[in-house]
Amino acid sequence: MLLLFFITAVLMVVLIFLLRNRTITKFISIGYAIMHILLSVYCWSNQNFTELRYFTFNSTGVLLLSILSVLAIPTLYHGFIYTRGNDLKKFNIYHGALITLMTFMSGAYLANGMTVLWIFVEATTLAVALLIYHDRTEMALEATWKYVFICSAGIALAYLGILFLGFIYGREDAASLTFSSLSVLINQANPMYLKIAFLFVLIGFSTKMGLFPMHTVTIDAHSVAPPPVSALISTTLMNVGFLAIYRVYTLFSSSSILPFMNRVLIFAGLLSLLVAAGYMLKAKHLKRMLAYSSLENMGLVAIATGVGGSGYYAAILLIVLHSFAKSSLFYQMGQLSRVLGTFRLDDCGNYMKLYPAGSLVLITGLFCILAIPPSGLFISEFLMMKGLVNNGQWFVLITAIILLCFVIYAMSTRFMHIIFSNPRQYPEFTPSGKVRPVETVTQFLLLGVVIAICFYQPQFLVDIINQSLSLLPR
Amino acid sequence: MIIYLIVLFAVTLIYLASAERLLNYVRLIAIQGLLLCGIALLELKDVNTANLVFIVAETLLFKTLLIPYLLSAIIGKSGVTKVHRQAIPGFYLLLFSIGAMLLSVVLANSLINPFINTIYMTIALYTLFTGLLLIVTHRLIISHLIGFLIIENAVFIFSLAVGSEMPMLINIGILLDIFVGVLILGFFGLRLKPNTNELTMLKD
Repeated sequence: MLLLFFITAVLMVVLIFLLRNRTITKFISIGYAIMHILLSVYCWSNQNFTELRYFTFNSTGVLLLSILSVLAIPTLYHGFIYTRGNDLKKFNIYHGALITLMTFMSGAYLANGMTVLWIFVEATTLAVALLIYHDRTEMALEATWKYVFICSAGIALAYLGILFLGFIYGREDAASLTFSSLSVLINQANPMYLKIAFLFVLIGFSTKMGLFPMHTVTIDAHSVAPPPVSALISTTLMNVGFLAIYRVYTLFSSSSILPFMNRVLIFAGLLSLLVAAGYMLKAKHLKRMLAYSSLENMGLVAIATGVGGSGYYAAILLIVLHSFAKSSLFYQMGQLSRVLGTFRLDDCGNYMKLYPAGSLVLITGLFCILAIPPSGLFISEFLMMKGLVNNGQWFVLITAIILLCFVIYAMSTRFMHIIFSNPRQYPEFTPSGKVRPVETVTQFLLLGVVIAICFYQPQFLVDIINQSLSLLPR
Repeated sequence: MIIYLIVLFAVTLIYLASAERLLNYVRLIAIQGLLLCGIALLELKDVNTANLVFIVAETLLFKTLLIPYLLSAIIGKSGVTKVHRQAIPGFYLLLFSIGAMLLSVVLANSLINPFINTIYMTIALYTLFTGLLLIVTHRLIISHLIGFLIIENAVFIFSLAVGSEMPMLINIGILLDIFVGVLILGFFGLRLKPNTNELTMLKD
């Protein structure tokens, strides 16, 4: 099935560029989304099954793959709208690159060894570069350059971490080893090697997860990327980075370096929160503000993982729900720019009058992303804080709460300004852009899922998250 | 023989830290590609033909010929011959480089492992630190590119340190890295203004 998926994806991309027809490209993209959903269903029903030697359908990978399947349809839908006015070449490059990116991310989710995972992560950089450069402006060029350069340098560092894993094993085929075969060797390894490998992997894959200190790369990418692409970069691609770090964390969790890894993750998480809070207070660009919000959420994920115990569950739940809430906000940013013609905060305002459905998405999304009840993210942040209290980590808890207050203040005031106030720059400005309310339905559906999770967590979700945590110390 | 090539490689790193002419950077990158080819061919005894072709392509074709050619094209286009706007003077950079070398020796010796070669570990760490130093201390885009290419060389040496056979999976990884390097050079290097440090349109 997986081989069929990869071959079909390649054929679809080739067909898009060969046939050069807008309608056919749309059909191919929809076909791809359906195929992706079928792959997810297949992976759910064949969990822990290995295919093509290098891919295993384990619970964490399958869960993240399913999130991508869910987001594939609205991303394609909003992408069709965004690229409506583009010439055929740009239209085809956009959709070809989007299918390529989703295929690489799927490969990364299902990879059962570090080297294969690394190859797919590196490959996502190339597809994302094409998508960020979509508008062909000087700013797009600068953002793409920064993205490719910093990601490549970061991922080269991650590769050094993987090679350190090879040193533990001591044989030339180390890079081909699966996570499960490496786990047997971890307890005999020199802890110094494990610490170095973990640090390299954390710093390297932070470029994808968007965690401090490599967060800048994604922030700039968001400023210029088409909103549906931002939705993917900020959610499913960040999940790829998280997965890579989480796999190594899980692998090393049975060794003596677990407290070291926890301290490093909490430190990186707190710094991410600090940077996010600081920059959100001075943010003037809406998409950059949402990008800093992603940094804040990834910081919380890192802290939750570092807390251990109930924090592990909180981290995975946060990853799932953040994906839905953040992507809906980014889709809405696309509509906002069509109505207001800008992403600059000073030029935005009166959104409630101009587009009430979009304003409702912004208000609901604000509650969801800030983890204010009835947002499902409240559950995960509550579990994280409970873990901090149980561990007696009061300094981390108080610092995190103070920084979260700044984040809440920064986002709320900005969103309220957009929705209810006049634009600061030109108060009498009346934009002419129109969006049909039906185009907002997918955003409400995604936010609806985030809210529903606050009241009811379906058993299949609880089970798969618990399975993902089965190898971690409880 | 390998030890001489490794010493020569270390010399190129010292020179890279102190050089100010961009053309010297290009020559040193080409020489490093050649040295890596020699080291790999002498070190990898049990390598099969496919892997051998891979390694020769990586080192000779890409690292020695294609990348220096692209770098020369970028320098020719920009018209800048010297790194005149680096953040700190070359002398201090040289001191940092020597510090990095000492740190690499200490680190490699504290990480002694029966499976890996300490000399490779030392030179790989030193290469990594030199690449990072160039990226951090220089302000021109072209210097950052060169720093990135040096980090790629560090990855190559690290992968040699693990054994006498280089598996295809590592080769694919390294080749993908090189491909990205060529993409950065060929596409962005020729479009951006490599003689400036003014990548400041995107800021808060």
